[in-house]
Amino acid sequence: MAISSATKAATDALAVNRAPVSVGAQEVHRWLQSFTWDFEKNRTKYSTKYKMANDTKEQFKLIAKEYARMESVKDERQFGSLQDVLTRVDAGNRVHPKWNESMKVISNFLEVGEYNAIAATGMLWDSATAPEQKNGYLGQVLDEIRHTNQCGYVNYYFTKHGQDAAGHNDARRTRAIGPLWKGMKRVFSDGFISGDAVECSINLQLVGEACFTNPLIVAVTEWASANGDEMTPTVFLSIETDELRHMANGYQTIVSIANDEAASKYLNTDLNNAFWTQQKYFTPVLGMMFEYGSHFKVEPWVKTWNRWVYEDWGGIWIGRLGKYGVESPASLRDAKKDAYWAHHDLFMIAYALWPTGFFRLTLPTAEEAEWYEANYPGWYEMYGKVYEEWRARGCEDPNSGFLPLQWFAENNHPIYIDRVSQVPFCPSYCKGASTLRVLEFNGKKHSFSDQWGERMWLSEPERYECQNIFEQYEGRELSEVIAEGHGVRSDGFTLIAQPHTSKDGKLWTLDDLKKIGCVFADPLKSL
Amino acid sequence: MSIVVAGGRRGLTDPEIAAVILAAIPDKPLETNRKMNYFVEPRGRRLNEYEVLCCYTQPTPDWIPGGLDWGDWTQKFHGGRPSWSNESTEMHSSDWHKHRDPAFRWHALYVKDKAEEWRYTDRFLKAYSADGHVRSIDPIWRDEVLGDYLGAFGFSEYGLFNAHSSVVRDCLGDTLRMSSAMIGLDKVDNAQMIQAERTFLAKLVPGFDESTDVPKNEWTKGSIYKGARETVEEIWQGTYDWNEILFSGHMIYDPLFGQFVRREFFLRLSAYYGDNLTPFFINQMQLYHSQTKGITTDMFHTCLSADPTFGEYNDRLMRAWSDKWLPRTVNALKDFMGIFAKIPEIKGVTSKDAIEAALERVFDDWQRDYADPIGYKVDTSAFIKTVLTGLK
Ligand SMILES: [Fe+2]
Ligand SMILES: [Fe+2]
Repeated sequence: MAISSATKAATDALAVNRAPVSVGAQEVHRWLQSFTWDFEKNRTKYSTKYKMANDTKEQFKLIAKEYARMESVKDERQFGSLQDVLTRVDAGNRVHPKWNESMKVISNFLEVGEYNAIAATGMLWDSATAPEQKNGYLGQVLDEIRHTNQCGYVNYYFTKHGQDAAGHNDARRTRAIGPLWKGMKRVFSDGFISGDAVECSINLQLVGEACFTNPLIVAVTEWASANGDEMTPTVFLSIETDELRHMANGYQTIVSIANDEAASKYLNTDLNNAFWTQQKYFTPVLGMMFEYGSHFKVEPWVKTWNRWVYEDWGGIWIGRLGKYGVESPASLRDAKKDAYWAHHDLFMIAYALWPTGFFRLTLPTAEEAEWYEANYPGWYEMYGKVYEEWRARGCEDPNSGFLPLQWFAENNHPIYIDRVSQVPFCPSYCKGASTLRVLEFNGKKHSFSDQWGERMWLSEPERYECQNIFEQYEGRELSEVIAEGHGVRSDGFTLIAQPHTSKDGKLWTLDDLKKIGCVFADPLKSL
Repeated sequence: MSIVVAGGRRGLTDPEIAAVILAAIPDKPLETNRKMNYFVEPRGRRLNEYEVLCCYTQPTPDWIPGGLDWGDWTQKFHGGRPSWSNESTEMHSSDWHKHRDPAFRWHALYVKDKAEEWRYTDRFLKAYSADGHVRSIDPIWRDEVLGDYLGAFGFSEYGLFNAHSSVVRDCLGDTLRMSSAMIGLDKVDNAQMIQAERTFLAKLVPGFDESTDVPKNEWTKGSIYKGARETVEEIWQGTYDWNEILFSGHMIYDPLFGQFVRREFFLRLSAYYGDNLTPFFINQMQLYHSQTKGITTDMFHTCLSADPTFGEYNDRLMRAWSDKWLPRTVNALKDFMGIFAKIPEIKGVTSKDAIEAALERVFDDWQRDYADPIGYKVDTSAFIKTVLTGLK
C-alpha cells in the first residue's frame, strides 16, 4: 500500500527525534467542551427556574483517570497513617471518652451529608448543559462517594480500636431514634436533593460547603486533636482537600445563571432560605457537639461562628459574588443571635432526651460550668443551676428513677418541634430567639420556632409534611421505642445511650427506663 | 490542669493532656461487639470492608423496601414530589439495598485501579512513541477510521456516560448509587481516552487532525452512527425510569452495539492494519465493560430477577424492555455495517463471512449472558440477517 505523506512526515520526524511522548490530562480536557451535541430531547430531567449557560467552564479541568490518580495518592497517605502508626500507638483508644461519643454523631451525620451530596451533584450534572460544568459536578459525585466511605471509615476505626464501639458500630440503624436525626435529614439529606436544582446547589455548595464546611470539617479537627483524636484530623483534612473544588462548583453555578433574568428575581430569596435552613440546624448542633461533647476546649463556639460564618462567608465569600447580584442573606443577623445561645438551649433538650441517642452524653463539670459562665455570662443562672438540680436528683444513676425530661413536664415547659427545620425547642425555657408559632392546616397542627421557617412553610406547606418524633412515638412507652429502634448493646439490655461518661458510673438498662414509665405525648394535642 | 487548650496542643502527644485522657478512659472496653454494620446481611461468608463502608449509608424510610428509617421526607420538591420514591421505577424489589459490586470496590479501591491504569497508559505511550510503532499504521485506517470513526464512537460513550446522571440522582439504594456513578465514570473515561489516542497521534503524525469537528459531524450527521446516535439520545434523555436507563444501556445496547464496535471492529481489525495502539486503549475499555457487566448483571439478575416476591414480574418487565430496545440496537448495528465500505478489504477479515462470524460471537454472548437469565426467547440469526443487510 502507498505510504501517505503524513506517514512519511511521521517517519522523518522520528528520524530526527525519538524522545518519548505521552498525553497529559490538560491536552485531553481542552476538547471536553465539544463532547456534547444538540438534539431535540437534550434538556434536564430536573426543572429549575434558572437557565444555566451553555458555555460555563470549570476551574479544575480533571479527566477521569487524572482524578483517580490524584485521589489515590491522598488515600495512600491517609489510610497508611491510620493503619500503621496510629494503630501501633493505640490512638483509637486514647481519646477522651466524651469525644469518643461525639464522633459517633459527627462522623455518621457528616456521612449522611456526603451520601446525599452524591445524589445532589448527580442532579446538577444532569441540569448543567456545558460539558465542563457537568464534569465539575461529576468530579464532585465521585468525591462525595469518597467522603461517604471516609466518614464510615472513622466510625469503623473507632468500632475496631476504640473504648466504646456501641453506636459507632450501628449508627446507620440507631440514628433514626432520637431528636437530632430528622433535623439532620432536612439540612444534609432532603435539603440537598429535593427542590429546584439550583436551589439545591445553593444549599449544598454555596451554604453547606462554602459556609459550614470550615467549622464542620476544619474546626472539628482542632477540637478532635485537643481531645486526643488524631483519626478525625487524618480523615477530615483529606476530605477538605476536595471541598475546594466543590466550593468552586457552587461559585460556577452562580456564574452560570448570573445573566439569566430569573436570577435577579429569585436568587437572593433562595440564598436566604438556604442559609436559614442550614444555619438553623448547624449553628446549635455544631456548637453543642464541640462545647458539650469535649473535655478540652479550643475556643467558644460563638467566636468560631463569627469568624467562619459571619466574617469569612457572609462578608468575603458572598462579597465576591456581589458582582453577580448576590446579597448577604437577610436572616444572617438573626442567625448571629442564635450562635450565642441556641446550642446551650439544644443541649438541654438533647440531654433531657438522652435515652433516645446512640451515644453517651455528659453534664458539664464544675470546671466546665466556670468556662461557660466566663464565655457566656448568664449561663449559670439559666442552665448551670438546672444541671445541678438534675444531678442532685440522680439523673446519672439508673436507680434514681429520674429522667430530666420529667423536669420539663413538672415545670410546665413543653418541648415542641419546628415543622420546617425539625429542630426541637422549648419556648418557655430558652435564651435563644425561639418563639412558639402554631398554625393549623388540613386539620393538622404545626409548630414553628422562627419567622423564616414559618414563611417557607406558609408559601409551600406541601414541602414540609414530615411527622416529628412526638407525633411518631405518641402514646408509646420510652423503653419500647428504644428496643424497637435497636438502641441496646450486644448484651441485649444495656442501653447504647447513657447520661454520663464516667468510667465508674453504672450503665442504664431497658428495665431501668421501663420502671419510670415515661410515655410520649404530642405537645400540639394539648394546645 | 486547665480544660482550655490553646496553641494547637494535641491530646495524643502532650503529656499533661494525655494523662487526663488516660485517666478518664474505661479500664476495659464498654462494648464487645467490634463489628461495624453487624446487622447487615453479608453477600459472602462474612461482611467485607466494602459492605461496612457502603451499606445503609442511604437514609431511606422503610416504605422504600430495605430502608431502616421511618416517616416522611423532611423537605420535598416544589409541589410535594418526594425526595426518593418507589414510583421512580417500574421495577419492584423487596430490598433496594441488596446489590453488591461483585468486585467489592469502594471508592479507594476503584480509584486505585484507575490510577494504575493511567500511570501505565503514560508509560505505554512513551514506549510506543519512542519505538516508532506509529510508522506501521495503514494511512486510511489511521486517518479515516481512527481519526473520524473512532472519534465518533467517543460520542456514543459520552452519551451513555451522561445517561447515568439521573440514575445517580434517582436510584433507590446506596450500593446501586455508588456502582452507577462508577460505571458512568468509566464511560466518560472511554470517551476521554479515545480523544487521548487522537491527540497522541496528532503529536506523532504531522497533519493528523485531533479536533473533534469531523468526528462530531460524523456522529451527528453521518449515516454510520445514525441508529446508534438515536438510541443513545433515547437512553440518555428520553428515558426517565432509572432502571430502564441502566437496562437499555448496559443490558442491551452496550453488550451488542458497544461490544461489536469495540471488540469485533476496532480491537480485532487494528492489528491487520498495523495498528498496535488502539488495542491498548480498547483493552482498557473491555476491562471496564467486564466490570460493568458484573455490576449490572448483579443488579438485574442476582437481585431483581431472583427477588423472592417480585422476580417473575421483574423478568416480565425486562423482557418487555428487551422488546423495546433490541430493534433499535439491531438498527444501530445495521447502520454501522456501512463502515466496512470505507476500509481496504482484507479477505477473511473484513469480508462478509468474517463479519457474520463476529456478529454471531456478539449475539451468542449476549443471548447466553443477558437473554437466557431472564427467559427471553430470541432468534438471534434473524437479527444478524437484518444487521447484514446494512453492508454496502
Ligand atoms: Fe464532601
Ligand atoms: Fe463536598
